Amino acid sequence: MAVNSFKSVITVFISLGILLITYSASAAVGCTLNDPERDLRRIFPESTGYKTSFHTIEGAGREGLKKKVESLLNDRLDPVYEAEDVPYAYYDVLKGKEVIGRVHGINQKGAYGGIQIILATDLEGNIVDFYYQRISSPQARYFRDESFTQQFIGLGLEDLYRQDMLEKIKQPTPGETEDFFNTLRGIKKNLILLDAFYFDGMQNSRIGKVEKGERP
Amino acid sequence: MKSIAIAFKNLQRKKIRSFLTVGGVGVAVAVLVSLMGFDEGYQRGLRSDIDKMGFQVLITAKGCPYEAATLMLKGGGGLRYMDQEVYSKIINDPRVAAITPQLVHTVYDPDKNNGQGGLALYMGIHRSFLDLKPWIKFKSGNWFSQDDAEEVIMGYEAAEFEQRSIGDKIFIPGIEKILTVAGIFERTGTQDDGLIFLPLVTAQNIFGLPDQLTGIGIKLKEISQIAGFEEDLYDEPGIQVISMAEVRGTIFNLISSAKVMTNSIAIIAIFVAVIGVVNTILMSVFERTKEIGVMKAIGASRFDIFRIIWIETTLICVWGGIMGNLFAIIAARLVEHMLRGILPYAPSGHLVVITGGLLLSSFMGAIIMGLVAGIYPALRASSMRPIEAIRRGE
Amino acid sequence: MSTPVIKANNLTKIYKLFAEEIYAVNNIDLEIRCGEFVSLMGPSGSGKTTLLDLMGCLDSVSCGRLEVLGNEVSCARENDLVKYRRGIISFIFQEFLLIPSLTALENVELSLHFSRMTKERKHSLEIMERVGLGHRINHLPKQLSGGERQRVAIARALAVSPQLLLADEPTGNLDTKSAQEIFSIFKKLNEEDGLTIIVATHNPKLGLQASRTIFLQDGKIISKEKSSLFLEMI
Repeated sequence: MAVNSFKSVITVFISLGILLITYSASAAVGCTLNDPERDLRRIFPESTGYKTSFHTIEGAGREGLKKKVESLLNDRLDPVYEAEDVPYAYYDVLKGKEVIGRVHGINQKGAYGGIQIILATDLEGNIVDFYYQRISSPQARYFRDESFTQQFIGLGLEDLYRQDMLEKIKQPTPGETEDFFNTLRGIKKNLILLDAFYFDGMQNSRIGKVEKGERP
Repeated sequence: MKSIAIAFKNLQRKKIRSFLTVGGVGVAVAVLVSLMGFDEGYQRGLRSDIDKMGFQVLITAKGCPYEAATLMLKGGGGLRYMDQEVYSKIINDPRVAAITPQLVHTVYDPDKNNGQGGLALYMGIHRSFLDLKPWIKFKSGNWFSQDDAEEVIMGYEAAEFEQRSIGDKIFIPGIEKILTVAGIFERTGTQDDGLIFLPLVTAQNIFGLPDQLTGIGIKLKEISQIAGFEEDLYDEPGIQVISMAEVRGTIFNLISSAKVMTNSIAIIAIFVAVIGVVNTILMSVFERTKEIGVMKAIGASRFDIFRIIWIETTLICVWGGIMGNLFAIIAARLVEHMLRGILPYAPSGHLVVITGGLLLSSFMGAIIMGLVAGIYPALRASSMRPIEAIRRGE
Repeated sequence: MSTPVIKANNLTKIYKLFAEEIYAVNNIDLEIRCGEFVSLMGPSGSGKTTLLDLMGCLDSVSCGRLEVLGNEVSCARENDLVKYRRGIISFIFQEFLLIPSLTALENVELSLHFSRMTKERKHSLEIMERVGLGHRINHLPKQLSGGERQRVAIARALAVSPQLLLADEPTGNLDTKSAQEIFSIFKKLNEEDGLTIIVATHNPKLGLQASRTIFLQDGKIISKEKSSLFLEMI
């Protein structure tokens, strides 16, 4: 009896310990890459390194950014999960000393759970890679399928405001549209923030292009 | 002109040497305080963690626990189940103050563990769950609308991770089920924060485990009844009774071997520090042979000399004690972080708790250490014969 | 007739150097009365310092008898000798032997502290004034000249109001002018305060200023005739 309960006691605690560790580790608020080393090399095989920086919607010189993001998204930012102090991670992918691209992820509320949208862009802000780091949905595998994600390659922020471009993008499954629109929102938010943090006020600002009337 | 002033000025003469010796004592004291603080913190943390489970006794299904643990680690489930009948038998026991049945189930979630895949835990609970954990509050929403409602209540962190609000849907992979969020708990600082709860009946239905339980948490009216209660359930087939006091003891056993090692390190550090102090003071006594002779020539007794040297040693240890305590306080969080990395199970809350009593006793310890370390050099100095000390010093 | 301050009969001190026995002080009979100013003279190794150490209760007697203020000290133990060094006998050394970590004033206070005397600060200041160092009280020994250091040592010795002042080559490390200054202080202390002083020196110019001069050679007191020969030698 004594030996047996001793054993079971260990079990209980090993399980509780695992529980505790697993969940506290994954409870990060922002959205970072699971394994930057591995993930970045897969997206940019020629890369030799990377540099991480964090940005938030609040901060000096970013007054009014929240409003701008909300107006461009045509939706409110969630006060809890998309608060202004949530840090967004940006990975500048390096080849030697030269930046060859950027990778950045955002959390997006999905129909059945959290969605993590990871975009890789070139230096102009055009999508060169897109995948779901996480999507909890009965149709998850259709969303993850390349035939769906590949459709976004080459697009820039202003393209997502052009009706003709949007019409070309096929939904992953016929019935389910909620997570499709969540995905669009997430990609837009991702690109808007990228533009705000990296191209603010510059000639090649994509937000500028959207605002100059290329918006439908 | 007081002996303490003389001692103080002597130490100031070789500042670097005195400082290094003080540092040595400081490190030893810091190590000791950190370790004792850890011992205290760990006990407190563990006690609070176990208290926050809400039950004193846990009934689980019998089985080889190692096998279950291994299976769980490998991601194969492997939980043992018992019949719900056990629960109906115990519920009317007059010694029971509160009792709640639980069904824990794991499903494989490919997105878990940073995309490597892992087990997501779901726990089927009964309303009595809240009787055992009266501190749990709802951040939003409420209890399940019905006993078999297709709803979930989420722990604070689980809800944050999934970005769920009341009324949202939640998809359970593996069994392809969609449930609705009925409530979200406030943060509790326990593992409950990361869990997703379902009504017990719903859990039994959707996981295909009708009338099965994985555990029964029990709080007794009198803590002294635990032994008798365990005894009575001993003959019940298919179950085992674990008291949380026992759990605590086992955890302490698990870390006691580590403690033996760390304590030895502390003892060695103190030993080295004492030797360092004795060495420093002896060196300084030999260097001052002539001065000691002069002091005797102008009227100092053996005891006067003894006292000066003794005070010097004690001063070093007092400063070392203060420094060590400061080190320990400053480094507590760092030590905590390191220990968390090493320990198999670390309770929530502060792992290193440095109390006023601990600081005081370590400080007193440092003084005693100084008094002991000072005896030999002080004796050596006080027994010098004045004329020999003066002439030999030449 | 008053008790002699020092009375020695057959006083002998033997040092063992390897197998050899050295008679540093050999069978000396001596009496020094209260108020005397005595100088001990003789070449190096003649036993001046050893004789002073014995009279100062710093060293133990090998054979013979020694009385300090009428008390037999030849058989006394180290713990009893301390009593004489506290406020009865004061010592001044050739190399000053101040405590380097303490200021001039603290050095003076130190002897009062060990002699269990109160009013340390006020009394020490007075003494420092008396030896003409009232303006250098907070200097460390290394910041003082040789003459000043020796005056601090004198102040330290006088602070406890001793009945006997012993000085071992007090001017040995000083220039002629400072040496004369120190000797003048001794003379003044002897004449004005009636303090008994015994000074060991090999400087005849200074030594002969004492009221009595005792010549030593090979641990023995030598006669006046012999000593004049000795004086001519130097």
